[in-house]
Amino acid sequence: MSVGFRAVQWNRHKLVYDAVVLLGVVLFIATFMTWAPLLWPGANPVTWDILRIRAFGTCAFLMLTVILAIGPLARLDRRFLPLLYNRRHFGVMTFCVPALHAWYVLGWYHSDGKLPPLVSLLASNPHYLSFIDFPFEILGVVALLVLFLLAATSHDYWLAFLGPPIWKALHMAIYPAYGLLVLHVALGAMQTERSPIIPVLLGGAFATVAGLHILADRRARRGTGAVAAQDWLVVGPPLGIPDGGAVIVAPPRGERIAVFRDGTRVGALSNVCAHQNGPLGEGRLIDGCVTCPWHGFQYRLEDGCSPAPFTERVAPYRVRIRGGLVEVDPRPLPLGTRVTLAEIDAASEGEGNGARA
Amino acid sequence: MKEAHRRVHRALWPALALAVGIAFALSLTLRAPVPVEPPVAKVPR
Repeated sequence: MSVGFRAVQWNRHKLVYDAVVLLGVVLFIATFMTWAPLLWPGANPVTWDILRIRAFGTCAFLMLTVILAIGPLARLDRRFLPLLYNRRHFGVMTFCVPALHAWYVLGWYHSDGKLPPLVSLLASNPHYLSFIDFPFEILGVVALLVLFLLAATSHDYWLAFLGPPIWKALHMAIYPAYGLLVLHVALGAMQTERSPIIPVLLGGAFATVAGLHILADRRARRGTGAVAAQDWLVVGPPLGIPDGGAVIVAPPRGERIAVFRDGTRVGALSNVCAHQNGPLGEGRLIDGCVTCPWHGFQYRLEDGCSPAPFTERVAPYRVRIRGGLVEVDPRPLPLGTRVTLAEIDAASEGEGNGARA
Repeated sequence: MKEAHRRVHRALWPALALAVGIAFALSLTLRAPVPVEPPVAKVPR
């Protein structure tokens, strides 16, 4: 959330986050270069250049695996939310490391021939119609191009220019890129090296990431409210909503709704943050404002507007309490509409407690 | 996340897991066998 332009808004958390990631990369590469030669003993020990190529390639795969696990982990367990906060910087670094891997590959394998290195890389293996002999390099090149595109458009300028829905759709290209990277390793390093470590780590990493995404999607599917009178949706007893937190309701049509409780008051906003479409309902109330768990964008519960001087807005929804149950009207109100929050009276509290017990 | 993105995400991951899983299993199965070094004949000096 910003009223003035700055290319990158640094703060202490971001600096610490970036320093930890950078330190992790340096430590990983140093450890790999020191210990990996033990994996390839014998008559044909790998050279330092090849070791460097493998170190950066392995590090890149590991970074992409971690970055893709952060999203579903944060949805499954709130303790992982801080990792989401500066994920874009992590993403840019995740482009730089495989870019260095590609640079070293071009320099080592393709710089001494008559052809330009990139042409040599793409033309050296013509078995495009074979599965097992498929030129795995092209898979890595395509994945790297996707990572470049995502790193180049990661800035908030591109988010504002493209709009959150297109920006988000573009950045979902990271998933097929990860699949290409898995196949790049499976048809490349896994074919030349016979160590069981490669298939175990590669298959294990992909299965973990895919499993986490599928699990998080399944969990998010729960929470669809039952339909009450006049098409309002039943959310549940008031005290079933955590104080300062929300219950997310999925209406039959339209966006999800985050129903928050602020002490004895209940209100509802769209679950979709205006910044990066983050899940507002997974956030909490801070200083009386609904706060997005991704980047801290804030909205008033009464009207869905960010407090001045900020200008972001999300749609508010009407809420009522009937028969001891919170109900929400699934039709979004125009942006900026002020709504009356539902008040939890003693009778509702009693029923809520009863319903919870 | 918008509902449209959520639907794509929900369909994409099982499909990606299946496609990559099959390709991974094939690449593991079709790996060329480890070359066996021929026994060295003892040649009398």
